[in-house]
Order: sequence, then structure tokens, then C-alpha cells
Amino acid sequence: MNTELSDQQLDELLATWPTDNVSLSIDADHVNHFYGTGEMRKQVLFDNVLKVRPGEIVIMTGPSGSGKTTLLTLIGTLRSVQEGSLKVLGQELLGITPTATTELRKRIGFIFQAHNLFESLTAFQNVRMATELLGIPDEVANPKIEATLQRLGLGARIHYRPKALSGGQKQRVAVARGLIHEPGLILADEPTAALDEKSGREVVTIFQELAQQKKCTIVIVTHDNRILDVADRIVSMVDGRIVTNSLIRRNELLSQFLTQIELFRVLNTTALSKIADRFDLRKFESGSEIIRQGSVGREFYVIGAGQVVIEIDGRQVNTLAQGSFFGEMALIHDQPRNATVRALSPVSCFVLDKDDFQKVVQSSSSFEEELRRAIFARL
Amino acid sequence: MTQIPLAWNNLTYDLRRLVVAVSGIAFAVVLMFQQRGFQHALFDSTVEIVRQFDCDFVLLHPSRFALSVETRFDRSLIDVAASQPGIVSVSPLYVENLAARLQRENQKARPIRVLAFDLDRPVLLDRAQEFSSQRGALRAPATAIMDRLSRSDYGFELGAGSKFPQAGELNGHTLQIVGTFTSGRDFAHTGNLIMSQENFAGYFAHRGSRPLEQVDLGLVKTDPKLDRAKIEADLRRALGNEVSILTREALIEREIALWDRSTPIGVIFTVGTLMGFVVGVIICYQVLATAIADHIGEFATLKAMGYSNLYFVRLTIEQSIYLAGLGFIPGAGLSWVLFQFNASFTALPMLMTIDRVLVVLLATVAMCVLSGILALRKLFAADPASLF
Repeated sequence: MNTELSDQQLDELLATWPTDNVSLSIDADHVNHFYGTGEMRKQVLFDNVLKVRPGEIVIMTGPSGSGKTTLLTLIGTLRSVQEGSLKVLGQELLGITPTATTELRKRIGFIFQAHNLFESLTAFQNVRMATELLGIPDEVANPKIEATLQRLGLGARIHYRPKALSGGQKQRVAVARGLIHEPGLILADEPTAALDEKSGREVVTIFQELAQQKKCTIVIVTHDNRILDVADRIVSMVDGRIVTNSLIRRNELLSQFLTQIELFRVLNTTALSKIADRFDLRKFESGSEIIRQGSVGREFYVIGAGQVVIEIDGRQVNTLAQGSFFGEMALIHDQPRNATVRALSPVSCFVLDKDDFQKVVQSSSSFEEELRRAIFARL
Repeated sequence: MTQIPLAWNNLTYDLRRLVVAVSGIAFAVVLMFQQRGFQHALFDSTVEIVRQFDCDFVLLHPSRFALSVETRFDRSLIDVAASQPGIVSVSPLYVENLAARLQRENQKARPIRVLAFDLDRPVLLDRAQEFSSQRGALRAPATAIMDRLSRSDYGFELGAGSKFPQAGELNGHTLQIVGTFTSGRDFAHTGNLIMSQENFAGYFAHRGSRPLEQVDLGLVKTDPKLDRAKIEADLRRALGNEVSILTREALIEREIALWDRSTPIGVIFTVGTLMGFVVGVIICYQVLATAIADHIGEFATLKAMGYSNLYFVRLTIEQSIYLAGLGFIPGAGLSWVLFQFNASFTALPMLMTIDRVLVVLLATVAMCVLSGILALRKLFAADPASLF
């Protein structure tokens, strides 16, 4: 974690916060769900909120009966939304018509744990069922199907029927069928459970490629911790509630970024990833005012990119660049801002609010010490 | 974009099941063919003699609502008809049903249908040269030829290689059977005789002192070059209400309709055909429904992928039509063999005409499509939410 953060990784980090012009792939807002009716009615999902950007790989975990499968079937349009709002690929699912459902399903790739291949069709033909539905022409679809199956290690058995394939091979055909048409969203249920290390890795590599290159969002329900490393976000559910919803990849990159800053180096890994989770990203145009002298201080800032200038009483006193932080004084002493901070270039700041910041200060005496040292050095 | 033949593949993948399905449908096809075949045979047999009439129109007494009703008209009307324009010939046909009893020595006397006409102007289609070759023998007094398909109860030997003449009695007077011809029997008639009108006059004294003056039917031949509708209109005008004019085909239809109405034959065999249909629907439904149930996960997956209900409707109907075709071919083949067997066994005309084959084919397709639609409900119930 101490390795230097490259520019590319920093860009990736900055891109993990949604901006207004990116529509979410999944936007679940206060979704409740019930099974049964009347006295038998039982709530299985409680107030689920989940926002997933295009290109994210989400891993969902949780014990059986935790509601993750229910949430997955709701996202996949396989069950009707009862309460709350659920938008998938921009389409609201609450009260959706059957025709719109069928259309939306074509944009979702399903990989079920049971492979469900037609015994009467070859591996190739089974995968073709997905491209045929979308009317993808033969000359485009056929080479792609062959290449994908080839890549998944079915080379010699492309034209075999499922009967002549092993469990793992069938699973890989089902995987190919779920992603061959490059859907906007892939929902996969234990896609690697029946696979050996090598082919399981190949499957997740393909997932990553689709996520990065085609901005395909992938939701995987799995207990296979061999593939946890591909997750951008881990959502874990217990008793119908989302108990953890953390952006693994972002936190990792942000932690990495923060450890390059003297102040944060005193925190241990756990504490670091805990605060990384609390950071928000804010962008400022060149010349705009980030904080104003005399106003009430509510946030602590770390510069992710760009340069700022500090002005006290209209006089420039200092400029700060990437990796520097500001705004701590007002929070520690509960005072109004003692300076104005203005962006000199387009600036991206990681922002921590007052409460979170104070929690960190209280939890770690060495952090507090380091913070005082930094403030002292600045004077 | 080529289409994966999922319907065909799913149908043929499990050969054992396919064979069961096809035999089941073939069985239903045979049932339907047999029932329809017998029904047609019974109706056909009643009009077989009419089909043999060598004529375009038939004249008969207006109150003769069925051929077996013995109301006759005056012979002079034949001459009136013959003098009309466009008429080639009008020949009288004499028929006795009720009053004719044929008896062989030491046997019971049994009713028989007797047909008579002018030997020089035969009114029946002479398909096997049976009349022209036996004309000489029939000119002798007290002679007749007998239908080889008459029931064996009469006691005459009518098979190939039988020796003639064979002696018997018709209404108590000696009759020599001098040969055979081929017509066929039906419910009402167990046998047929043909003789000259002169001999006929001698046997049936109850027809009056001039027995040939009362005619049963007049068979009209017209000039094929002229408009038949016009000839018919002229005939009608000339003959007035004293005699009915029907084309041969109309008479056949009228006769069949009468038997259909007045007997339960139609109902019995329609019920039989329906039974075949229902058996077929059940078998076909079983096969299609099991095929769906066995692959419910795959179909649910297709639904999740975005395949619409319309696709499943098309898929199932396609399968039904394949099943219908696959079952119909062996079923029709087997039925044809059975028809030949039945025909030789019962002397009923078991005919497999194109239109009758088409009717059964349509029924087979309807049967399979109906069971497909019933099986579709199972497919619609496939719940993709159960797949996760």
C-alpha cells in the first residue's frame, strides 16, 4: 500500500465519484419487498439503497436468506418492485409494463448458477440464442462466439452438446451466453463456483474487460473469495438490510493516496480505510472560492488534483498543491474560517465533514499530534 | 441471420420420446381415418349404383325422395324428354327392391334389388365390359347376371372360376344366373341382379298389364358441346311438375344427405372421429407438456434473456406442426393399407380421396396445435425469478 499512486490510478480514483452527467446503472432508492399476502406477509427487504455506476463490478455477499437473491431478481426485472424506486439502466422498474420488461431484459445478461443449457443445442448454438434475440448478424456474432468460447477453454468442444461437456465447461458456456451480447448490466450468481482456479480467473478477467472497456456493470453474488479482488464495491446484506456498501477499489486507491501524505501516515490500515470510506469528492472550477474567510467551517479538504491559493484579508499568503490539506483550523478550534481558499486551476478535493474529522482526531492521539506539527510547520 | 432450429432440435433430440409421440399421433390418425373411412364407405355404398349411371341428368318422380321409395312415372315422359334439343338419349331404368325375392334350391328366399334396362342401350358404365360381353346370354328368357359382391347367403357361387348358369327362383319363377357383374352392397341391399327389360316385365306382374309403362328412373345423356344449364332449363319447361330433374352429382348428394339425416351413422362415426381427435390431443399434449416440464429451467432462462411470449407461442406451434406432419405420414400410410384390407373384407367402397385425406390432415394439425396451446400454459408459468 505504500507504493506510489500513479497518475492513471489517481484519475481512476477521481472518476469513482459520480458526476451529474453519468446516469447510474442501478439506482435503488428505499426499496422494500414482501413475500406472501395477508397474515403471511413477511418483509424480506428493508429500505435498500444502492447506487451503482456504469462499469462498476459489485460483489454481493451475505448469508442465505439475507435478501441478496431477492434484490438481484428485482434488479434483473424477474420480480416486480413493490415499494420504493428502482431504476436499472435508466428504466424505472416500479410499475413497468411487460413489453418494457422484455425490452429491458435484452440489455441485461444473466448468468445463473444452474447452467440451463438446451441439451438439444451445441455449446455454440446455446450462446447463439443470446445474439439471435438481439438480431446481431451472423458475420459479427459467429466469430465472436467462437473467440469467446475459445478463450474460456472450450476450443475443441465448441460444437459439442452439453451432454459431452463437464460441469465446469457447461458453466463456462452459460457465462459466455450471459455476456456475449455485451449487455449494459450482467447479473451473475456464483459464476465461478464450478470452475477451477484458472478458468475462474479467465471469467473474472473477461468481466473486468467488459466493465472497463464497455462500461458494463457487473453484479456478482458469490462466496468465492478468490475473486473478491475484482470488486469495485462490496455490498453485504443481513436480514434484508444492506449492512455494508463500500467502494473497495476507491478506498484502496484513496488510502494509497492518503498514505503519501505525512499527516495520514500515522494511521493504521484499518483506521485509514475507515476514514477513506467517509471522504467525498468535490470539484471546483479555476478561480472559484472553495472556502471564505469568516464563514463557518464545516469541512476538511485534501487536494487530489490542482492548485489553490490561500488569501488572508485579500492578501495571498501561500499556494497549495496536490497532497496538501486545508480547513482543519476552523474544525479543531470551532472558529470561523481564518482565510479564503481559491482554486488556481480546476481542483478536485477529497472532503471530510466536521464530525468525521473530529472522530479521527479523537480516536488517534498520534494523528492529533501530527496535525499540530503540520499546523505549526505551516506557520 | 440464420435461425437456430430450436423447435426441431428439441423435438428430435430425445429419439425415444419422439417415437412415442409420433406413434401416438399416428394412432390417432389411423383412428380418424378408419372412422371417417367407414362413414364414407357406408354413404358411398348407398350411392355406388348412382355413380355407375352413365348419364348427366336423372329423371325421377317428384315424390321419390329416396331411391328406395318406389314411386314411378309414366314412360311417355321419357319420350317427351328425348325430343328436347341438346338431348342425346333418355333411357328408362327399371328397379325392384321390395317385391323381388331370390331363392336357390334348399335356401331361404331373400330380397334382392333387380335392375333392368334395354340391353341395346346399357345405362350403366360398362367399366369391365361386363354388359357388352354378356349381352347375348341376357337376351335369353329367364336369365340374369348377379353382382359378385352380393352376400354369400344367397347360396350362389359368384367368385372367380365359378361355373354358370346356376339355377334359382325369382318370385317363384325359374331364373338362370348366367354370369356376374360388379357393383356393391349397402345397408338396404344385400345383392343386385341385372336383366333385360323384357325378362323384367315377366317377373313383376304387380306392375300392371304393361309393366314397362311405369318407369323408375330416366337417365339423360346430353350433348357435351352444349350448355348444360340451358338444356336443364329447357327440360324443366318441357316436363313441368310431373317429373324431377337432378344432375347425377346432385342425386348423389341428396341421397347421402338423406342417409346422414335419417340414420345415426353420421353421429356415430363423428363421435368416433372425435374420439380419435381427443386421444390425439391427449397424447400430443402429454409429449409437449413433458418436453416443456423437462426443460423449464432453459425456457425460464430464455424468458430472463428477453424472449417474449410470442416467441414461445411460435416455438410451440412450430413443434405441433412438425409433430402433426411426422405422425400423419405413417398414420396415413397404415390407414391406406387398412382401407385395402377393409374393402376386401367388407365389400364396402373404402375410398381415400384427396379431399378426405386433407380433412384428416387438417384435423391432425388442429389436434397438435390445440395440444400445443394447452401445453403453452405450462410455458407461460415458467418463472425466471426461480432461477437465482
